[in-house]
Amino acid sequence: MLLPWEYGVRNLARRPLRTLLTLIALATVVMLVFVVVGFIRGLERSLSTSGDDDVVLVYSVNSEENIENSAIAAQIPALLTASVGGTVSRFGMTHVSPELYMGTRVKNELDEAGLGLVRGVTLATPLVRRSVRLVEGSWPRAGEVIVGRLAAAKLGSSEDAIALGKTLEFEGKQWTVSGRFASGGSAYESEIWCRLEDFQAATKRQDLSLVAMLLSPEGSAGEVSLFCKERTDLEIRAIRETDYYASLQQHYRPVRLLAWSVVVMVSAAGIFAGLNMMYGAVAGRVREIATLQAVGFRRRAIVLSLVQEGVLLAASGSLLSGVLALTALNGMAVRFTMGAFALRIDSVAILIGCGVGVLLGVVGALPPALKALRSEVATSLKSV
Amino acid sequence: MKSVYGVLIAGMLVFVVGCGASPSADRTDEPTSQYLVDAEPSGAVSVGDANASGEDGQPITLVGLIGGSTEPFVDGLAAFTIVDESVPYCADEEGCPTPWDYCCTQDQVKDNIATVKIVDESGGPLAEDARELLSVKELSKVVVSGTAQKDEQGNLTVVADQVFVKKD
Repeated sequence: MLLPWEYGVRNLARRPLRTLLTLIALATVVMLVFVVVGFIRGLERSLSTSGDDDVVLVYSVNSEENIENSAIAAQIPALLTASVGGTVSRFGMTHVSPELYMGTRVKNELDEAGLGLVRGVTLATPLVRRSVRLVEGSWPRAGEVIVGRLAAAKLGSSEDAIALGKTLEFEGKQWTVSGRFASGGSAYESEIWCRLEDFQAATKRQDLSLVAMLLSPEGSAGEVSLFCKERTDLEIRAIRETDYYASLQQHYRPVRLLAWSVVVMVSAAGIFAGLNMMYGAVAGRVREIATLQAVGFRRRAIVLSLVQEGVLLAASGSLLSGVLALTALNGMAVRFTMGAFALRIDSVAILIGCGVGVLLGVVGALPPALKALRSEVATSLKSV
Repeated sequence: MKSVYGVLIAGMLVFVVGCGASPSADRTDEPTSQYLVDAEPSGAVSVGDANASGEDGQPITLVGLIGGSTEPFVDGLAAFTIVDESVPYCADEEGCPTPWDYCCTQDQVKDNIATVKIVDESGGPLAEDARELLSVKELSKVVVSGTAQKDEQGNLTVVADQVFVKKD
């Protein structure tokens, strides 16, 4: 015969302070798991949504995997357009975007400075970067910039400091914020965009960092790559944008592995804390457990009831953390080397967080429950 | 107990048959490309010499090693780059994961590299990966015969109609 469900629930209410403290401890552990898993999922999403399968990037062979270090000749977009077919062209506009991209120190009106990512763009850029949407304001004119949704996080400043109409200073020039853009969580959201010619003038550079080409269904990334190999004098290489970001995923693999090991360590610490707490809880109930045995309840039923208490508490802690994570953590901007990304508490994060929480309840309750049942009933009944 | 031995013996037989079958399977998978030849084309010149003296539109036969960058092959196309044999690349004991990129001798690669491509009837690059078409890999030594294409900047491309893979 099993113990009634209400018995375990009432037991939790009988020791409210201990229950509350345990609940807070379990919720904290699960929250830590949410933070780390949300970090990993956010980073993965940022890199996976940043590439467009139809876009090919052409940049310098000498820049390794880092486009910020790339410098290619200004005539390359024209050469590519003339030599390689298969680029989308509509209403006389070829979808080829020459861009100058670099990290530079950006200062706001409050004199707060941070390392920003600035991209010099043309009117062809939004045709190639199809995920980009202007959500506020207007496309930049001379001396103006538009800022990504996560640019403030990248700069380490407040949203107000880079609001519309505010002034930013970089490369020795003042720039007025004319708009804000979003791009579905991709890496561009941490960038600042201005007109290519303005940025070239400010940086005193006439070259480009890269050329992004939008290929039509008939186009082939291989043909762009072949052009780059044939023109060894230009020292350029081509890569599909999705492959570029996949290589960055590889680059950040150690970070992700480290984050996953943090999840395992936090969970293990949580289990040990849970064990400690449950040992304490069960130790104070030795007489009660012995009495239950004396009145005829089987050991298995008592263990189940104790596990039920643990799981109930852990599930409550997980739910509490889940709600907090979804409302407070989800979408929170995190700054990192390549830009910024938003913490992502998605279904996978919820599943892992709550799974760890429930596991804490089961694994934390089982050993102390089994230990308590090993004692003789007569001895336990006499214990203080 | 007998049945256990029976299962073990049967398992070992399957294992042995499985191992024995693979060479013949490999043989049937070997590429039979019309561009791949069994006899080495004669009169091959080095990539460096061809870069210096080759002329646009002339027949040419080159010998070199596949390499010159981290990815010398063009994905999905029958095209790759070759480098002059005289240019040294990282030795095995140096532990370089991609010796075919000539990372330590890039300054010498510039004048000793050529692009090889195989074209289809329309003149466009053949849409078959060279690694599968010719059964070659990075640092394979090849002798290619075809027509030279040289532009004003001195970039050399061979439109190959014959490829011989040298076995070392």
